[in-house]
Amino acid sequence: MSHALGIDVGGTFTDFVAYDRVNKKVEVWKELSTPTDPVVGIIGGLGRYKSNDAAAVEHIRLGTTVATNAILERKGAVVAYVTTKGFKDVIFVQRGNRKYHYDASWVKPNPLAKRRHCFELDERIDAYGNVLKPLDEAEVRALGEQIKANPEIQAVAVCTLFSYLNPVHEQRIKEILTEVLPDLPISISYEVLPKWKEYERASTVLADAYLKPVVSRQMGSMRKRLDEAGFQAPTVVIKSNGGEMTLDAAAEAPVNLVVSGPTGGVIASRHVAKLTGIDHLVTLDMGGTSTDVSVILDGQERFTTAFEIEWGVPIQIPIIDIRTIGAGGGSIAWIDKGGMLRVGPQSAGANPGPACYGKGDLPTVTDANVLLGRIDPDNFLGGRMRLDVERARKAVASVAEALGQDVDETALAIVRIANNNMVGALRSVLIEGGLDPRDFTLSTFGGAGPLHVGELMVEMGIPKGIVPNHPGQFSAYGFILTQARVDRQRTAQLTSNRFDKARAAAIMQSLVDEAKAQLTDQGFSDEIKLTRALEMRYLGQNYELELTVDESTLSPEADIEQLWEAFHAAHKARFGFNTKGDIIEIVNFAVTAISDSAVPEIPKLERATSAPEPMGRRSVGYAQGRFEVDVHDRDRLLAGHVLEGPVIVEEAASVTVVCPGQRLTVDDYGHLLIDTIQA
Amino acid sequence: MRMSENGFYVEKYNKCACCGLLVYGEGVRTGPGPKGLFCSPWCVEWTERRAKGEDDPVMPIVQPKLPFEAAYPSKHERLAPLDMVTMNIMDSTMVSICREMGILLMKTSYSTIFNEGLDFTCALADAKGDMIACAEFCPTMIGGMPLLIKTCAQEIPFDTLSEGDILLHNDPYRGGLHCPEHTFFKPFFVDGELLGFAVCIGHIAEIGGMVPGAFCGEATEIFHEGMRVPPVKIMKAGKDVEEVWKLILANTRTPRQSYGDLRAMIGAVDLGVDRITQIVRKYGKDVFKQTCEDLMDYAERRMRAEIAAFADGVYSFEDVIENDGITNTPYTIAVDLHLHGDEIVADFGRSSKQARGPINATLGVTTGATYNGILHVTDASIPKNSGCFRPIRVLSPPGHVTNVDYPGPLVAGNTETHPRLADIVIGAMAGCTPDRAMASESGTSTNFVFGGDHPDHDEYFACYDIMSGGWGGRKGHDGNNTVNAINGNCRFNPTEVFETRFPLRVENCELVQDSGGAGQWRGGLGYKRTLYVTTVPITGSQCSDRHETGPFPLFGGERGAAGGTKVMKAGTDRWTTVRETNNKVSSSKYANVVFEPGDRILLITAGGGGYGDPKQRDPELIREDVAEGYISQEQARSAYGFTG
Repeated sequence: MSHALGIDVGGTFTDFVAYDRVNKKVEVWKELSTPTDPVVGIIGGLGRYKSNDAAAVEHIRLGTTVATNAILERKGAVVAYVTTKGFKDVIFVQRGNRKYHYDASWVKPNPLAKRRHCFELDERIDAYGNVLKPLDEAEVRALGEQIKANPEIQAVAVCTLFSYLNPVHEQRIKEILTEVLPDLPISISYEVLPKWKEYERASTVLADAYLKPVVSRQMGSMRKRLDEAGFQAPTVVIKSNGGEMTLDAAAEAPVNLVVSGPTGGVIASRHVAKLTGIDHLVTLDMGGTSTDVSVILDGQERFTTAFEIEWGVPIQIPIIDIRTIGAGGGSIAWIDKGGMLRVGPQSAGANPGPACYGKGDLPTVTDANVLLGRIDPDNFLGGRMRLDVERARKAVASVAEALGQDVDETALAIVRIANNNMVGALRSVLIEGGLDPRDFTLSTFGGAGPLHVGELMVEMGIPKGIVPNHPGQFSAYGFILTQARVDRQRTAQLTSNRFDKARAAAIMQSLVDEAKAQLTDQGFSDEIKLTRALEMRYLGQNYELELTVDESTLSPEADIEQLWEAFHAAHKARFGFNTKGDIIEIVNFAVTAISDSAVPEIPKLERATSAPEPMGRRSVGYAQGRFEVDVHDRDRLLAGHVLEGPVIVEEAASVTVVCPGQRLTVDDYGHLLIDTIQA
Repeated sequence: MRMSENGFYVEKYNKCACCGLLVYGEGVRTGPGPKGLFCSPWCVEWTERRAKGEDDPVMPIVQPKLPFEAAYPSKHERLAPLDMVTMNIMDSTMVSICREMGILLMKTSYSTIFNEGLDFTCALADAKGDMIACAEFCPTMIGGMPLLIKTCAQEIPFDTLSEGDILLHNDPYRGGLHCPEHTFFKPFFVDGELLGFAVCIGHIAEIGGMVPGAFCGEATEIFHEGMRVPPVKIMKAGKDVEEVWKLILANTRTPRQSYGDLRAMIGAVDLGVDRITQIVRKYGKDVFKQTCEDLMDYAERRMRAEIAAFADGVYSFEDVIENDGITNTPYTIAVDLHLHGDEIVADFGRSSKQARGPINATLGVTTGATYNGILHVTDASIPKNSGCFRPIRVLSPPGHVTNVDYPGPLVAGNTETHPRLADIVIGAMAGCTPDRAMASESGTSTNFVFGGDHPDHDEYFACYDIMSGGWGGRKGHDGNNTVNAINGNCRFNPTEVFETRFPLRVENCELVQDSGGAGQWRGGLGYKRTLYVTTVPITGSQCSDRHETGPFPLFGGERGAAGGTKVMKAGTDRWTTVRETNNKVSSSKYANVVFEPGDRILLITAGGGGYGDPKQRDPELIREDVAEGYISQEQARSAYGFTG
């Protein structure tokens, strides 16, 4: 009972990482995914586990795409939506804005319920939380019967006005409907997201109900088939907040699974940050069709409540803030009507794939990397796939001709424009979020990320880079490092000019109790760590700054002025100005509870006693021209090895490209650290 | 423009008789009086050809230039070699800076029209006043930006600017849109050289004037519409000009809120200047200047390629605005688009004479609306800088509803007339690109504004909220339900925010069945909201339209349903309108109606026009529409002949 398994189900591959706690060994492998029934791929991969001893497995942590796919493909449940009289159309009216400024062909997205399945109850709570019109229980029962009479309906979502201030109606609706409809899952907004703004809350609770039947089915089937395969170890899934939850809890609150797999890369990055003593990391996970960007600040991942299923359809639970752009190795280069070379957003995807894969003819970023000598056509994916250089050249030549440039120049331009697309994503998470790139280290992983690390550092003005271990299975690797985590938030407005500290303290305490209970109910009782935060703003503003507070901030003896001062200071730091003396409003209360389970100890690499031996040399194109560079095998590098750029490091799942003026150092754990020696 | 000798005030706003642009210098005189004054020989020639009854356009078009622009050569000398990669990088970097400015504004501003409505825009301009980048926030301001920047650049001599200065400006007659739209300009310098401006335009909800919230439906002069600010410095060398602040804040009903919004806008231009200065330092001044020129040339090439793909011809379209709030007569808005090769001249000269009420558009609004309409039917990925507008020339003679003369009222021009002008431009373009055109959307922002004394906060409140209506049908798709009129892209206030902020109650928020115009591709639905006045009286005003005529259809579809504003007085159970309760001329445009506790106001938005013959509609779609309640059985039968 000493092995922890991390499994990440991706579109093409299912990645596996096993950590042996006794021998401190990490094992990684891949299995082809089985999209129609992902459990098949999981069980298949487990069968290839080298230390194939199911009994030795003490813990399985799983990144799942079941919720993500059900939403993307709109294959969730038929949901009945129940709300306050007069307001069933809130989910169709939405917010009135549109996705594009100038596109007469844009089609507004639909909510996750049909209008014919929307129902109203004659009840009302006002903006102070007072009951204006009491709930009519007979009406609720009648509605339950009406829903029961419709065999199509598979789940119920309830969102009534101002329930975040007073949940009494929603709670009673749930009780009654549960009696009348014992077989239907029921989600109420107070439990899923007790925050203001009825459309956003409704959209979130709808997603929860929409996912319940399908997630519940898959979690049940997963447990059963793992048991049958002999893996009886406790199994958990990874939530969108990067924490783990049991399969049962996931089935109860599936909205927490909308982003599961990609959080692993962020969690792993947080761990890398801790091991290497780096405070601020920006992560770039680049694959074939998309790139995910995220930030670790002061050793902590960041969260957002602005997630959207598609534009305009929000899910506002706290989710690790991962920005995804449609740019990857497969992004296609083309020339627009103004004669400009563009890269993406169209992608050659996995099929036909880049021209060099031998099927397509359109030039992609990967083709450009092959022509620049950055990817070795004979050693792609550890030599498992031979690339067609001539086909890549022909594809890039088609664009080069139109530009009147040679192929090499064009290949370089393609890579630089692709880099610029990624710089756009980096800018949006760093600079637009008020963070200075010069304080960061760029962590790249995914098959294509390390190819671009050196140039992105230059373009973005990020002084340091890192290519962690297992960049090709980094999310699964993150899962062996994750912890159980619960986030609870609630809207309750209080202002500084008439502040009710006792009420604030009571709200905070109730959130603490809820969060703790959710962890202990799932059996996570190891040392629970709590974080409390207040979301605050000047009265009239509409966006909040989150201030972390401690237990004593709201205690009877605390000086509350210190809290207001802290807010003025935070506003000045984030936005460059503040308005001292103005009324401050507390809007949301937030509590995070983390169960601190034991973290694996990552093995160290042997120390180098001599200079590294390159496995070859080849010509590689950079912005400064072509260079003959050494090519190293990552598996043969040892701790303390230093390589001066330009240089290339190859491994089975990726290639690291270091630019002239940069230096690569192998640290004690085998991470490739890159820094800038001359700009 | 004739200024007083000391430059303290404008004596006369002189405009080109052909295109309506302000004429700052001598201009070109062909005769006495306003009819004999032109901005350029091109406008003289255009006018002479019309006078002779000739129909052919004067091509290629020559864009008008303000006197200050004469200092800049028309064809720039290359300072650095063309570098496509740098262009690409610089473009996305500058757009990102503008977006960052906008995010700061959204997150720090105080009024809901900013932070929920996002009724603002941020841009960067070069030292010639050309817009070099902008972020997509409010479209009306994006189109209006180039003219606004140039006018300001003309009036404030560059040698009077120093680092840390910030200019404020909202004069609608000088490139502006309407008084609430406040523009902040902050120049940026590198090594002492002025290289351009960070600019931000935003809607300040309360600026004094006859009604809380500025939308005075009965205004007959600009003075009814709030405080007008000529280009002045509100910051000098990084220090507040206290006198200006005090003057402005003394003229609003909600000084705390307005102060918060104005501060946020200053925060935004400060940020823009910081960021762009770093970029210029990184690439060097010459590369920066050259790349800006290359980017504008590139955007111009992209736009020309789009226009060239349409067949040459004159494409005309017109519509009516139902009344101006003062007299109950309709006003015509009309456009003739002269497409020739890769250029367009948009002539609004057939529109009605200037109205007495506030529906007039400024030249900035009409220009922005023309750009907006054309951008809707061309490639959306063209960079939005001054270059992409070079192949488009807007002619909007003064004294018309499409180019208001001082001191005519105009507050609704920006929100009501703008979308209607953009819609007729799209309607005209349907003649040459039917697949990309859309039948008329609701075309109104509803603009019900109100204010009162808040019972909880001991503070005056004012609210400007926007409602959205149906989009028109387009080939292949029904119109979207409830989307903001195309001049803006605002989000409306959630009920839970609205009731928390204001002592009113929202009783419903419902789609209006059957409001989408019938068609092969149906118009989208409008919606309605009922506001219930609770404990304190409110003073309400409105500047809207489409209460009498529904949005126009295309290609044999039917009009969308008109919207409306109804009132139910406390203690009654009958819906009526302010025409009856308060003797107002119009139900869509009125000022200072006091609603007492217990009164209800029902706001209804219009549905979109239909596209194509309703009889051609797929019966499956009709069946689904009935099942979802978008149309009634009755309409299925009467409008579509559907019996299934």
